[in-house]
Amino acid sequence: MLIRTPQAWELPESAATPESLYHLSKRRDFLKALGITGAALAAREALAATAGFPSKVNAAYRDPALKPTAYEHITSYNNFYEFGTDKAEPKVYANRGWKTEPWTVEVTGLVNHPLKLDVNDLVEKMGGAEQRVYRLRCVEAWSMVVPWDGFQLSKLIALADPKAEAKFVKFTTFLDKASSPGQRQGNLDYPYVEGLRLDEAMNELSFIATGIYGKAIPNQNGAPLRLVVPWKYGFKSIKSIVKLELTDKQPKNTWQVLQASEYGFYANVNPTVDHPRWTQASERVIGGGLGRQKTLLFNGYEAQVASLYQGMDLRKFY
Amino acid sequence: MTEKILRSKVVVWTLLVLPGLWPLWPIFIRPDPSVTADPFKYVLHHWGFVACLVLAVVLAFSPLRVLWPKWGVAQALNRHRRLVGVAAFVYAALHLSTHLIYEGGLDLAAIPATLKTALGKPFQLTGLIAFTILSVLAGTSVKAAIKWLGGKLWKNIHRLAYVAAALAAYHQAAARKLFPMQVVWIFGPLLILEIARVWKQRQPASGVK
Repeated sequence: MLIRTPQAWELPESAATPESLYHLSKRRDFLKALGITGAALAAREALAATAGFPSKVNAAYRDPALKPTAYEHITSYNNFYEFGTDKAEPKVYANRGWKTEPWTVEVTGLVNHPLKLDVNDLVEKMGGAEQRVYRLRCVEAWSMVVPWDGFQLSKLIALADPKAEAKFVKFTTFLDKASSPGQRQGNLDYPYVEGLRLDEAMNELSFIATGIYGKAIPNQNGAPLRLVVPWKYGFKSIKSIVKLELTDKQPKNTWQVLQASEYGFYANVNPTVDHPRWTQASERVIGGGLGRQKTLLFNGYEAQVASLYQGMDLRKFY
Repeated sequence: MTEKILRSKVVVWTLLVLPGLWPLWPIFIRPDPSVTADPFKYVLHHWGFVACLVLAVVLAFSPLRVLWPKWGVAQALNRHRRLVGVAAFVYAALHLSTHLIYEGGLDLAAIPATLKTALGKPFQLTGLIAFTILSVLAGTSVKAAIKWLGGKLWKNIHRLAYVAAALAAYHQAAARKLFPMQVVWIFGPLLILEIARVWKQRQPASGVK
């Protein structure tokens, strides 16, 4: 007799959030619901990728135990140093004329089919957007739960067809000093760069987000498309990507360039490896008042990603 | 006029208490989602910021008086040195208590572990030492302590306030991932005043009438 044990993420149809609640379909409808019309709508409409909505909820990546953080917290508590180092600044400065549409992304380097295309065309090519609910753990010891809309990164990489020598993916964000106060100040080494090992990038969890809560992703969250690697600290999930480059050398990510003793290449969430200045054993829950919870190894995604790091000393490769 | 206002204890008390109440505004009165996302972190940082500010301000009183001995405002401010100094300690205590309570997620039993973590991390340890110094200074701020310790020893002990300020400046800078300019605005003017004071005190007395 076969006894089937339900997986942690499985949930009955009845437990799913009604579609109407989850996404107010297109960005236009959402803005209308907010009462933004006419000129204001036209001005804000041209901000981010709108293709692919409404997205389909992917129940395989929606742990019913996870309670999504409120939209207003996700979109007003941001680390996006291109637009200021305080949490409240990106929402203000990323919406002062920075254009995220049209937006072109390229996949280049050690690939057989280099790509260069508009982000909306890319989403169509990926077969539209799906929604996944992931934990997000920042290196500063706070966490959120975000319903992301987008597509699995492996699909995009497969489309470009990596060559056998390709071992890493280097991601680069935009460089536009006129629109970015942080880049004008030079508070970090810009453009922001991140990297993954190719097998990490091809993992089922690695995701490219073009939306949050079924709506086009706001500028302050990394419009029009960003990486989401939920088992790593948030700084790995680079925002507003313009280029993916397949390479045979491990890329130097921006935070590692700034302070290699504090920020590594891997940056896997690990409660037993402290940041030199603070502990990573627990995390503050955004929107959770006084709530604090224990941090989980690989941010709770051990089953999916632990095999990537077998035999590696996670203290050394932090 | 200014000096008359500054002589008033009520005015100084108000100036010291109001900054500490500021978080009520973005949390309750006009809620700001970037603050309500993590309100206790906001309060923690805010009280730490006020502690640094008040400490820098009280340390500026004495060089101001040395540099401009006849300036009424400097004289008025120096009447409040003890009160303002104790306020710096109170804000530092509020800041540390918030950290201890919040880091343990309201679990009081977790406080020893939180303190132990702090001892092992220079960023947190500097803050803890600065707080310890301020506690000693606050504890010996009563008149009886001057009598008991003797004026000279008391004065030397209270010079530790400069050590506390230096540690607090480091602690504040290390609290962010990138160096915050705030530290320069708070402690920079104090540093300039102190250099000017030392320079003036080294001038030969002959030039003074």
